[in-house]
Amino acid sequence: MGEHTVRINIGFIQALIAVMLTLGAIALAGSFTFTSTILAFIGLGLIFWGALLLYIKPEGYTKRVLIDAVSSPSLTTLNEMIQELCYKGDATYLPPKYFTNPETTKVYIAKNKRGSLPAPEVIRIYENKSTAKTALGILITPPGIELSKLLEKSLGRRFAETNLKDLQQKLPKLFIEDLEIAENLELKTEDGPTESMTVHAKITKPFYTDLPKEAEELSQAPSAIGGPICSAIAIALTKATGKPVRITDTKSSEDDSTLEAIYETLEA
Amino acid sequence: MEFPLSFWDISLWLAVTATILLVTSELISPYYGKTNLHINQKRLQNVAIIVSLLFLITVAIKIATIITSA
Repeated sequence: MGEHTVRINIGFIQALIAVMLTLGAIALAGSFTFTSTILAFIGLGLIFWGALLLYIKPEGYTKRVLIDAVSSPSLTTLNEMIQELCYKGDATYLPPKYFTNPETTKVYIAKNKRGSLPAPEVIRIYENKSTAKTALGILITPPGIELSKLLEKSLGRRFAETNLKDLQQKLPKLFIEDLEIAENLELKTEDGPTESMTVHAKITKPFYTDLPKEAEELSQAPSAIGGPICSAIAIALTKATGKPVRITDTKSSEDDSTLEAIYETLEA
Repeated sequence: MEFPLSFWDISLWLAVTATILLVTSELISPYYGKTNLHINQKRLQNVAIIVSLLFLITVAIKIATIITSA
């Protein structure tokens, strides 16, 4: 209902722009002919506001349900694939030091529940493959890789050049104001029992359902890969801290208006 | 046949337009929770700033004229 109204509004605004520009041009031409100040003000006003409406109209419009429908199957397939291949370990986002190219980001899932992280030298062998199976685990490209690149582009520098404090200040602005991914983002840090650190992320009204229910149910691992938004935050955290990161918990409200994710940084 | 508005008229028009645009761009800022407006808010903010600067330029020109004529 709401989206139908938006489409009608966009059509109405386009017609309004055409009328304003035409009337404005006529009024401005009339002001020259009759040397009328009032006509000149009306003409200038109409042309200016018409041109402004034309300039500020949205670049593109996609229905939220359409994004949900398109992204949902790929996430479900990814979780199904991991389940089918019997990878039961935690999904760990690896920091740049594990790769020769610092731009590379991968998630490592161990075969067994208590499987530890392999050495960076082992990971580097499989760095250039989009999905690489090793004897002990699997390396995959995270779903939030493109979103994290977009965030870096909007930020104007790489996450690896920032730190956690910087990220806590800049990421909400990118989410709320620059890319309008969500209405609000809160990042809270908490020191863990050892040298690990816990980061709580609360995303209010994200622009789409980050992790569909089907994909969430399929995700058997104690720490999951997450949807594109949670995954992009995990990538940002692992690059900013330089430590491996796990998403230990994700929770979305019934109406999908709030999404909470808990991240844990590990000692490499 | 000549343009009926004087330099001062244009300056006044720019002042009124800049005020409206600046107030609007601040009120629809995502920090007020109005992210459901389907317009490019960044562009609106840019236009508001440009129009404000144009008004300030007209004021600067007027001041310069007063000083030089005195």
